[in-house]
Amino acid sequence: MPSASDTVSTTDRRSRGSVALKAVGLLVLAAAVLSFPSVAANPFILSVGVVIMSYAVLATSWNFVGGFTGYISLGHAAYSGLGGYATGLLVIHTGVNPWLGMLLAGLAVAVLAVPIGIASLRVRGASFVIVSIALVLILLLVFQSWGSFTGGSNGLRVPRPFGPEVLRPEQHERFFYLHAALLAVALLTWWLIDRSRFGMGLKAIREDEDKAQALGVPTFTYKLIAFVVSAFFTALGGGLYALWFGFLDPIFQFSILVGSYMVLMSLLGGIRSLFGPFLGAVIVGYAVEYFKNQYGDTQFHLVAMGLLLGLVVLFMPDGIIPAATNLVDRFRPQKTSIREVTQAELAEQRRTAGPEAAQADQQARTDDGTDIPTSDSTVTEGARS
Amino acid sequence: MKTPYRVAGLALASCLALTACMSSGAGGDSAEDGDGPIKIGISLPLTGDFSEPGKGVQRGYEAWADYVNENGGLLGRDVELTILDDQSNADRVAADYEKLINQDGVDLVFGPFSTRLVVPAAQVAQDYGFLFVEPAGAAEEVFTQGFDNLFYAAPAIADDHYDYLADAIEALPEAQRPKTAAYAAMDDPFAMGTAYGLKSRLEEMGVETVVDEVYPPNTTDFGSIAAKIADSNADVVVGGTQYQDAVNMIVALQQLDYQPKMAAFSTAPTNPEFPEAIGSKTEGILSPTGYTPEADYPTNQEFVEYYTERNGTPPAEDEANAWTTGQVVAAAVEAVECASPDPECQSQLIDWLRENEVETVVGPLTWDEQGRPEGAHLIQQYVDGKIRIVLPEEAAEAELILEKPAW
Amino acid sequence: MSLLLQSLVLGVLLGGLYALLAAGLTLYFGVMRVVMIAHSAFLILAAYLAWWFTSETGLDPLLSLVLTVPLFFAMGVLMQRVLISRLRPATLTMMSVLLTFSIALVIEGMLGFAFSGTQRRIRLDYGGANFEVFGANVAVVKLIAFALAVVSLAALFLLMKKTQFGQALRATIQHPEAARLIGINTERVAGYGFGLGLATAAIGGTALALDSTFYPSLHWHWIGPLMAIIVVGGLGSIPGAAIAAMVLGMGQALLQIPLGTTWAQTFFYIALFATLMVRPQGFFGGRLAQRF
Repeated sequence: MPSASDTVSTTDRRSRGSVALKAVGLLVLAAAVLSFPSVAANPFILSVGVVIMSYAVLATSWNFVGGFTGYISLGHAAYSGLGGYATGLLVIHTGVNPWLGMLLAGLAVAVLAVPIGIASLRVRGASFVIVSIALVLILLLVFQSWGSFTGGSNGLRVPRPFGPEVLRPEQHERFFYLHAALLAVALLTWWLIDRSRFGMGLKAIREDEDKAQALGVPTFTYKLIAFVVSAFFTALGGGLYALWFGFLDPIFQFSILVGSYMVLMSLLGGIRSLFGPFLGAVIVGYAVEYFKNQYGDTQFHLVAMGLLLGLVVLFMPDGIIPAATNLVDRFRPQKTSIREVTQAELAEQRRTAGPEAAQADQQARTDDGTDIPTSDSTVTEGARS
Repeated sequence: MKTPYRVAGLALASCLALTACMSSGAGGDSAEDGDGPIKIGISLPLTGDFSEPGKGVQRGYEAWADYVNENGGLLGRDVELTILDDQSNADRVAADYEKLINQDGVDLVFGPFSTRLVVPAAQVAQDYGFLFVEPAGAAEEVFTQGFDNLFYAAPAIADDHYDYLADAIEALPEAQRPKTAAYAAMDDPFAMGTAYGLKSRLEEMGVETVVDEVYPPNTTDFGSIAAKIADSNADVVVGGTQYQDAVNMIVALQQLDYQPKMAAFSTAPTNPEFPEAIGSKTEGILSPTGYTPEADYPTNQEFVEYYTERNGTPPAEDEANAWTTGQVVAAAVEAVECASPDPECQSQLIDWLRENEVETVVGPLTWDEQGRPEGAHLIQQYVDGKIRIVLPEEAAEAELILEKPAW
Repeated sequence: MSLLLQSLVLGVLLGGLYALLAAGLTLYFGVMRVVMIAHSAFLILAAYLAWWFTSETGLDPLLSLVLTVPLFFAMGVLMQRVLISRLRPATLTMMSVLLTFSIALVIEGMLGFAFSGTQRRIRLDYGGANFEVFGANVAVVKLIAFALAVVSLAALFLLMKKTQFGQALRATIQHPEAARLIGINTERVAGYGFGLGLATAAIGGTALALDSTFYPSLHWHWIGPLMAIIVVGGLGSIPGAAIAAMVLGMGQALLQIPLGTTWAQTFFYIALFATLMVRPQGFFGGRLAQRF
């Protein structure tokens, strides 16, 4: 079972071979990302790449709180929006260096996230989600109304960090690499936390908060730290996007849809996996473009996103990466080396790994009882049988 | 964990797939040699919050393209429209123009609908050196962003919509002028611009502002706003409105039995559905409009006839503004004799429009340095159950009713 | 003074509608521990159905209740049986939020498909009718909406208190395991509870359609205040939700006088944050709220 506790033990048991393989995998991934601007056929495709990378940064940042603690925030657009506005306002009003401004904005949002986290993490589950939604709505009202400071409904134009001699396609390319760098930092941080004692504590909270607390994990502090780190990276992502896009409008910045995209991407890829949100962002980002191309002028994109989210929640709540890993494991019970599967085979398996497989996976999980904590399960137990 | 390896493979595959699929469309370059159709790229809100006016603009653009093609084309070439849906979303509208310019290789672009979408779109066009004539970004803020490629294809910006009405009030003897005024405007650059344009004029004349309310675009309950206005018992009520908010506000004001001497609302009263929504209580309601099918500008009659024959109904303001956009760009193209994405050609088009006047269905248009049109809106009023032009006097179809009957 | 009175009247009339809708949300949470994000999407759906009914038949929108209430009840039962009960118990609260969120998106998208993004309003002959009470004007349509809400709430209350089904429902809310032990089919009861919750959305939507415009994405505008109400009232407490709805509804209407429309809207969220800081279980919540 690829549950969280396994991650660590597998890591401990790793052989030299698998380290090398992972290194190769990472290199290939990095090469694929870094070579994208040179293979992109035109600036439009490059700009789509920037948007997808921005999604990847946001989803990975979201996953600091969603993946580690299991607290699903639907309102992370609040932090990306705040990061964007803070960056823009700092650059406009103080004239600081845009990159420094972005960092300061990230820190400011992180500080702001402390009281918000204290208020919303005191209560579990339902209230947390409600607060996360409420936060986006209240910020929308404030940024829309406080026109003298935020530009209000006229929007806010963010000056460009690069001079006019840097043409738009060149801008896209630079921002693509900047987003990739930010993504790399976020992934590295996630990976470090994942391996740390702190990360263990967080995952214990995700699996069973009461037990974690009984075992002496300072649950509240841990949750709060994860929350603040998440807000910090989300704000950086928002700030970077604002510098690239150059125009902020409260309606689109503080939108519940943006926050729900982050959730969808992370869930789809797998919130327990390092690269899950990234993978989800690539898939969703591409799907959004595809749906728009195919079903251009209908409301289909909303329906499609709703259906996709519903299907993921119902049939694949652990995401693609765990589902695919599980499927591969089932074919090879003795866990042989990864080398026996080629990329093509993997891709094929992934294609067939539809909802049925994921459902079977879910069934397997509940059957052996690993995922059912003792409390809270009474309400719907009957429904499963 | 073997994840990185797999993800890498998948990510690589999807990167390549993304590139491959997306570039499979039209090539980046268009027919430079002047053969083939002139491709014009447009992004419009066909779904989402602005979809209704967005579709009106679409009808106007399509009618214009058909008309041009039936009458010999532009520079002897057909025009071909590529219209994308931006879902009323600022991120999408920028991506759309990026796509139109880079991937679809259009020769010219026309603007989108709504002030909120014009600024991000104009930025893209400016970065690629494209002329950007737009049918719907009327708010003053659009013109203070430093765009040098932008032209608004309508008679006046939002703040000047009520100029004729303000002039008429100013011309009244002191005793007959209203004493107090109440303003309620949607928090939207265009809607607020209209109401506050009139507000600053009235305040200059000494009309006291007794209520000044701004409400978010999603407001549907106008009970409290109406209560404030009714309580102030202002002589004039001015609504900076789009469509439904005006209907809601008027109904809420009626529910509170408030009877102003003068009531002016932007946009909504010119909508053909408005009388039906309000019932028989429209008499005396004022509204500025940039267009009327009755206007006797040289090309207008032909436009109205062609459009009515094609679509079955006479054109409204959105359709007319779209048509005007087409006329403006076409005039520049014919004068400069080029239509290509080449920066040289685009800057010639821009320069030509700076210097020249264009004859359009909304009257002759000229622009200032920032692209503001230098005309004025007509003032319409419901007189005997029909909406008619009452100001300025030389264009009036009916007498201005100064004392609004009870609604 | 009359403005104050007028605002108070408007606040009470609005609060009634809030109370009915919040009661529905509370029911879902009570029987299933589900935060139903799609509640307000169903509200808008009901409003559209009322509008469609009136424009097709020309009859009064209130008559559409005869169709929409049973329809919504059935949809609620079906939704609980087919969708919600599939979720893993361990992550039910979180995942149900996402699932109902996705349902909300689908409803919004389908409404856009079917009726376009245009704002709709039912035109009623008595839309502008009003009468005066102590210097305050009361619009007839608003009063009808309020009466509809009060009657429905009273019926719900009687159902909960006086009938056998109501007892089973309350038992399921309070202690599902014990309820099961004494022979209550909690599964079926939970389904009916869900149906009842959705039926409040049908009534609320029709009441809303009488005196307001609606468009597909309007539900985002409703879900925030409603969520704030059920947290302030204490998750799971129907009287708590009703009282909080009245208090917040009136508070909003009164605050609009000095603050204006936009800032008055933030009142709900400030009340929400204040509640979580001071009394996370809400002001009327019992044992349930503490844990969630």
